[in-house]
Amino acid sequence: MEQTTLKKQEGPVTGTVAPSTTKGAATCSITVNGKSYTVPKGKTILEAVSALGYSIPTLCHLPEVCSNASCGVCVVEVKGAKSLLRSCVTKVTDGMDIHLASPRVLTARRTNVELLLANHPKDCLSCLRNQNCELQSIASLLGIESIRFAQTRKRPLSLDTTSEALVRDPNKCILCGRCVAVCSEIQGVNVIDIMGRGSKSQVATFFFKGLGNVACTNCGQCALVCPTAAIVEKDHTGEVWKALQDPKKVVVVQTAPAIRVGLGEAMGMEWGALVTGKMVAALRRLGFSKVFDTQFTADLTIMEEGHELIQRLTTGGKLPMITSCSPGWIKFIEHFYPKSLDHVSTCKSPQQMFGAVAKTYYAEKMGIDPRDMVVVSIMPCTAKKYEAKRPEMMGAFHYWQARLNLLEKDKFYDVDYALTTRELARMLKQASIKFDALEEEEFDDPLGRSTGAAVIFGATGGVMEAALRTAYEVVTKKHLPSVDFEAVRGLDGIKSAEVDLNGTKLKVAVAHTLKNARVLLEQIEKGESPYAFIEIMTCPGGCLGGGGQPIPTNTEIRKKRAESIYREDSRKGIRKSHENPAIQQLYKEFLKEPLSHVSHELLHTHYTERGVY
Amino acid sequence: MNTSVMPAVSEQQILEIINRFQGKPGALLGILETVQESNPHKYLPEETLQLIAKHTGTPLSRIYSLTTFYSFFNLQPQGEHIILVCRGTACHTRGSRVLLEDLSCLLDCSAFLESGENTFTTKDKKFTIKTVACFGQCALAPVVSIDGVIYSRMTSARLKGIIEKLAKGGKKHE
Repeated sequence: MEQTTLKKQEGPVTGTVAPSTTKGAATCSITVNGKSYTVPKGKTILEAVSALGYSIPTLCHLPEVCSNASCGVCVVEVKGAKSLLRSCVTKVTDGMDIHLASPRVLTARRTNVELLLANHPKDCLSCLRNQNCELQSIASLLGIESIRFAQTRKRPLSLDTTSEALVRDPNKCILCGRCVAVCSEIQGVNVIDIMGRGSKSQVATFFFKGLGNVACTNCGQCALVCPTAAIVEKDHTGEVWKALQDPKKVVVVQTAPAIRVGLGEAMGMEWGALVTGKMVAALRRLGFSKVFDTQFTADLTIMEEGHELIQRLTTGGKLPMITSCSPGWIKFIEHFYPKSLDHVSTCKSPQQMFGAVAKTYYAEKMGIDPRDMVVVSIMPCTAKKYEAKRPEMMGAFHYWQARLNLLEKDKFYDVDYALTTRELARMLKQASIKFDALEEEEFDDPLGRSTGAAVIFGATGGVMEAALRTAYEVVTKKHLPSVDFEAVRGLDGIKSAEVDLNGTKLKVAVAHTLKNARVLLEQIEKGESPYAFIEIMTCPGGCLGGGGQPIPTNTEIRKKRAESIYREDSRKGIRKSHENPAIQQLYKEFLKEPLSHVSHELLHTHYTERGVY
Repeated sequence: MNTSVMPAVSEQQILEIINRFQGKPGALLGILETVQESNPHKYLPEETLQLIAKHTGTPLSRIYSLTTFYSFFNLQPQGEHIILVCRGTACHTRGSRVLLEDLSCLLDCSAFLESGENTFTTKDKKFTIKTVACFGQCALAPVVSIDGVIYSRMTSARLKGIIEKLAKGGKKHE
């Protein structure tokens, strides 16, 4: 918990304190705990001192997301100021004499946290965020040994369990406002806000309808920034344990690309640790009968989506075509831009393609009754839980219905359970698996084979790059000189590029976060979009920054995870989806060709118009 | 709340009101106030808020946040007569709690008194009681406002008289 460690450290003491800085100078002189420093102007106290080796604790401030100064934990004493100042919103000025740990400061911080704790449930031992809770660590850091204030809330507030993906517990909420800020400022979705006033304030949805009944996209970014367990993923580990222990069931698992760069963090390793082999070994030890890879169906997605793009380009289909892998994005467009739904590729996401292929092609091949097969997916994503339960995601059931004379009561989903990275980490810990000591293992064949193109699905721009690698070779029938499309990589909100496909210039764009997606959609709805193909990912950084990833997840961590993703891509022997031998075999034995009848039945889907108002 | 009824303020009227406030600072509050006043039951039904959200481009959550923050906005139909009882310190020390108890007996709403809520409407929609923090008339405590008229140094007997008169369909004022 870097951001909450209060350390006293020797800062780089400047030689002399400048007597007076001239007007308009870019720096100013400040004193921190009696030592003099020169710091850049325009910074907040919190930012300025963090560069000097101090770390002021806070429960609401989150760079790039939230700066509403609500928690009162970051207060500091500034000589001459009447009251203590909130360092997250107070800018440094020349000559400022700041005390970060005076008795007055420490007392105020303790009081403010004690007040937050008065109504906070004291069930840390059985809380999902136990040992990963900012409130808990700040209480410990400030040395709070007792809470002087009595609980004022007479009856517990009711939980919001309306969502398939997320659970909100307003009792654990400290009203920091981070979730509201991320939903509005980063995602532009705006389904939660602070309702009521004073002691009755609560984060809630319109008329307390609940996240499942409003335009929530289930992205889970709120859960990622929540300092406590007021918003968490809907836990499905119990169901998965039960399936694993059922001898009648064949339980197979698929792992999304972003898990291999996130899971290590939750198991105590460094940010962005690349743990593909250990992850496979750990999943085998949990008892999954086969450990497969969502990357296999990421390659399949490229085959289907790439050919859909070529078809749209050559037959005058709806352009730009937009990717459909990110379920938060799908629900977003269904709510906010339903008129543009025919721009979205009809391809199911890799998670859903996997479920459909596993319960048809693989079940058939292995002689497994599809009703006995349980498909568990490990996703960096909370929205995948919702996606798995969409009524149209029963491709395998419909495939088998006539063949096995299945009844309505036999209905099963293509994907039975979608777990987040955090849930998997909990299961591994419960199973006494010593993760960092595991020997690396390989995925099972054939649904575990993948290419570098599939790995990069985990980063913003990755689906685009993977599609371009394949589309280029399919259209031009030429060998791609370099597989690296640098223009679509990186954390810029919207990236665009132009690709030459045998004389045809293809303009493409990549956006991550739904607020950036809005920009491209507004262009489309005005008829001004210059693009032929657009990739949209719901979460900042793409799936590697997904709402199901380990906490904390911030820009610095996202960058580390992205580095690992591209490292994994570059070390893969095959880096183009159409060259995946297992995919070629799947087409030969089962699907016949991209966009075939079977493909349409199993791998493509349709969307639903949903209103906002 | 019965959400199946049509919004009492039509979409056309709402659009006109929004137009009237175009470009004015704090327009949303003005729009909400005017629409509420235009409603025969002086409240903002869910459908009305949805229309305001749609036509002003404001997120529903924001609208709900605003209307639950300001006690001026009503999300439930209001009674024919609105009684505001001041619960500020001065009024409290001069017996406003007793006045509230009297009202709860007269209008059969003792549950409201226990609930800690700040508003109650009788089943027959005849009366709405609201508590407010302060009228700024502390020298004249306890203060009660009935249908917009402020009564100072209110007593139980006087309050009873007014309520009984109003309940019989009498004129608003003494």
